Amino acid sequence: MIALSVAATLAIFVVYTALAGAGIVQLTPSTLAGHKGDITLVGAVVGPVQGSAYTRHGLRFKLKDIGASSADRVLVDYRGSVPDLFKVGRHVTVEGTLLHGVFVAKPGSLVTKCPSKYAPAKSSSKT
Amino acid sequence: MEWALALAAILAVAAVFFVARPFLRDPAPASDRLDELDPAARRHLELAEERDRALAALKELEFDHRTGKVSDDDYRAQVGPLRRRAAEALRALDGRETPSRERVPATHERLP
Amino acid sequence: MAPLGRAALILAFGLVAYAFVAGSYAAWKRRRRLALSAQNALLAAFPVTLIAAVVLLVALGRRDMTFVYVWQHTSHDLPLAYAFSAFWGGPEGSLLLWFLVLTGYAGIAVWLNRRSRELIAWVVPVFGLIAFFFGFMLCFVSSPFNLQPAPPDGNGMVPSLQNPYMLAHPPLLYLGYVGLSVPFAFAMGALLSGRTDERWIVATRRWTLAAWTFLGVGQLLGAHWAYTEIGWGGYYAWDPVENAALMPWLASTAFLHSVMIQEKRGMLKVWNMVLVALAFNLSLFGTFLTRSGVLDSIHAFSKSSVGGWFLGFLAVMVVLSVALIYLRLPLLRTKTRLESLVSREATFLYNNLLLVALCLTILWGVLYPVLSEAVRGQTRSVSKPYYDFFLHTFGLPLLLLMGLGPLVAWRRASLRSLGKTFLVPFTGAVVTGAILLALGFDSSWAGLLAYTFAAFVTVSILLEFVRGRLATGSFSRLISRNRRRYGGYLVHAAVVLLAIGIAGSSAYQTIRENTHLRPGQSITAAGYTITYTGLTGTKGPDYTGYRALLTASGHGERFSLSPGQSVYTGDNQSNDASIYHDPRTLGDVFTKAALAGRHGTTIDLQVYVKPLVNLIWAAGFLFVAGSLVAMWPDAVEQRRLAARYAAGAAPVGI
Repeated sequence: MIALSVAATLAIFVVYTALAGAGIVQLTPSTLAGHKGDITLVGAVVGPVQGSAYTRHGLRFKLKDIGASSADRVLVDYRGSVPDLFKVGRHVTVEGTLLHGVFVAKPGSLVTKCPSKYAPAKSSSKT
Repeated sequence: MEWALALAAILAVAAVFFVARPFLRDPAPASDRLDELDPAARRHLELAEERDRALAALKELEFDHRTGKVSDDDYRAQVGPLRRRAAEALRALDGRETPSRERVPATHERLP
Repeated sequence: MAPLGRAALILAFGLVAYAFVAGSYAAWKRRRRLALSAQNALLAAFPVTLIAAVVLLVALGRRDMTFVYVWQHTSHDLPLAYAFSAFWGGPEGSLLLWFLVLTGYAGIAVWLNRRSRELIAWVVPVFGLIAFFFGFMLCFVSSPFNLQPAPPDGNGMVPSLQNPYMLAHPPLLYLGYVGLSVPFAFAMGALLSGRTDERWIVATRRWTLAAWTFLGVGQLLGAHWAYTEIGWGGYYAWDPVENAALMPWLASTAFLHSVMIQEKRGMLKVWNMVLVALAFNLSLFGTFLTRSGVLDSIHAFSKSSVGGWFLGFLAVMVVLSVALIYLRLPLLRTKTRLESLVSREATFLYNNLLLVALCLTILWGVLYPVLSEAVRGQTRSVSKPYYDFFLHTFGLPLLLLMGLGPLVAWRRASLRSLGKTFLVPFTGAVVTGAILLALGFDSSWAGLLAYTFAAFVTVSILLEFVRGRLATGSFSRLISRNRRRYGGYLVHAAVVLLAIGIAGSSAYQTIRENTHLRPGQSITAAGYTITYTGLTGTKGPDYTGYRALLTASGHGERFSLSPGQSVYTGDNQSNDASIYHDPRTLGDVFTKAALAGRHGTTIDLQVYVKPLVNLIWAAGFLFVAGSLVAMWPDAVEQRRLAARYAAGAAPVGI
């Protein structure tokens, strides 16, 4: 009886994800072109960062692929709260849609990572 | 940092000594067998748990009845079987001898 | 100093490896002295690990930059308390913290239960195996004692981590995560020894409760930190690392309830084994998620080398748990059956199903990006709407069950007595719902249901206390004779407060934004008028910034706020929210401000009015109080348990 009940309750969320749409696709600047609908964009911030996130015109910055040598850049138009760690060079994720070549972000969806503080030191010697 | 290495060495020696202690204290025991509950002891334990469960259920039923959660009819319907269960468990426990274990003699005991 | 730390770690690793290998052999071959020797090795591991921990703490305190770890996470101008908190700032230090707490918990738990030799003989190697992994990682993969030529200064700590929460939130979570290894080790030990009695449950009940409490408080602290310091206007973002702590907490909540059914009815033995294994493996998974960097998270840890190792160890523990439970199924099956679907056992079962369902839906959401990439070659993620849907679907019935369960008797309840006991709470809920509807709270059906169910639960808990007091004559006698039950009711009351606070501050919050606000202009939100009067500069030892001065009035209150921003050396900035706690609504007026341009005094202002949000934090205190009552030792019960296990052991531990 327990097993059947567990299966029944879990079936709810499997049905949900099947019917309500299977999540939001996650892309990088080099793979973004041509995609429609809600997207999560992952990349590294490229300067200059212009504007203000709380104004009509929003915060504008570019993203490039993390690590890779691709030259693709995507202009991001963002409004909403900006994490403390946000600045040029940081890795971010942001949700939104691609409109006329500009990635228009959902307000408040910007998440920043800060790898430089926790990366292994370049100069270290084990003893 | 010689002091650090010396301290580490002392630590290691102390640790080894502590780990070896059961062998050092009892180098030639009469039996090195690990205690375990024999089937009789396990059955005794099961019965003791059953007894405690039955007594706890009675106690909770009484409390729920006193606090009005269980009606008089429900109380009358349940208290009889619970008391019977508790009595059976007590009888079963009383009917068994005190359970034995595979007894490992203490180190100071001498066997004949 | 570092050589001492490294030597201590290698010695500790050797000890736990011995505890695992020798302990397994001794338990298998029934060798008494070898089992004792393995036990001693496990006991010795803690003081040795403590030496390694002290070495790292001293290095952090002295800002010894020859330690790579110290250089990575501190700087000479970092205050001492935060320098110490860097202990858990990086993967190496947090692994050492895991290892330290694990060996400490293992030593205490094993020592307290040492006379139950048959069980402990198997518990020791299980602890040894878990500690073996962490010891291995510390010695060979991720050591905190790597050295370098000393650079002039370290990388420091980001400003957003330099606050009291950093001192408390991570260690409390670790005390919770690692604490779940104790019931796991005893459960697996019971399976390995073929013991089907409840010895392992009795030995670990308070450990589980303590670990669960630490996890709960740790998460609340993290939520408060996000709310007050990070200042994005919320307290929970369904971030993978946040979910990493929530999942084992939900699984152990289910376990704490279902274990009562095993104790009282002898049922659900298999289910309890599954739950305790699930809770522990989720705590391992949570540690893996937090430290591996494999998923995008606002908790900004880099990709470290420990991820693959963690995954491998997690796989081993899952396979071991499943295999053991499967092999011992014949021993675990009982003849006792559920007598009625309308009984307290049944409500506990429904509660369990909902808790596990919620836990697994969160797990699904966390894993979705990884699974979708593996299956479809395209990374997809789920977000707030997904989690909110299931929080409502499973969370609201759970809230209702908290009120239903205590009103229903064990074994079976007649509809007549149910009707009698439900009448007052049901009436309270209906009246509350009607009043709220009339006041216009139907803007959110989930919020309205949450409030209505909360009223039901509150009245049922109050009735329990009143009826109990009448039956026993005094509150102190009532609680002292029924600590687990009434401690549990206090915890339920805390969850009710939490639910009301979450519903109020999310379903009924008001958000207003005004861009280009000039001095003298105002913004209104939920009956408050907030007027911007001007800017002032701020300066500290390592930062400069500004504050927007606001005066506010509304609902008979007058107050001032000063949100702004600060820029620290190293070009890190922080958004400094300003919060007013309204005693009338138990809620907050939460403000954020940013300059609209480089020059001038025009600002962009955001105002959140969050009713009842402070109930969330108040719930934390009641939660701890209830847990303490439930955990408090009962001399009568201790004597009874000692007599029960006298055949196999002396007094049970904790």
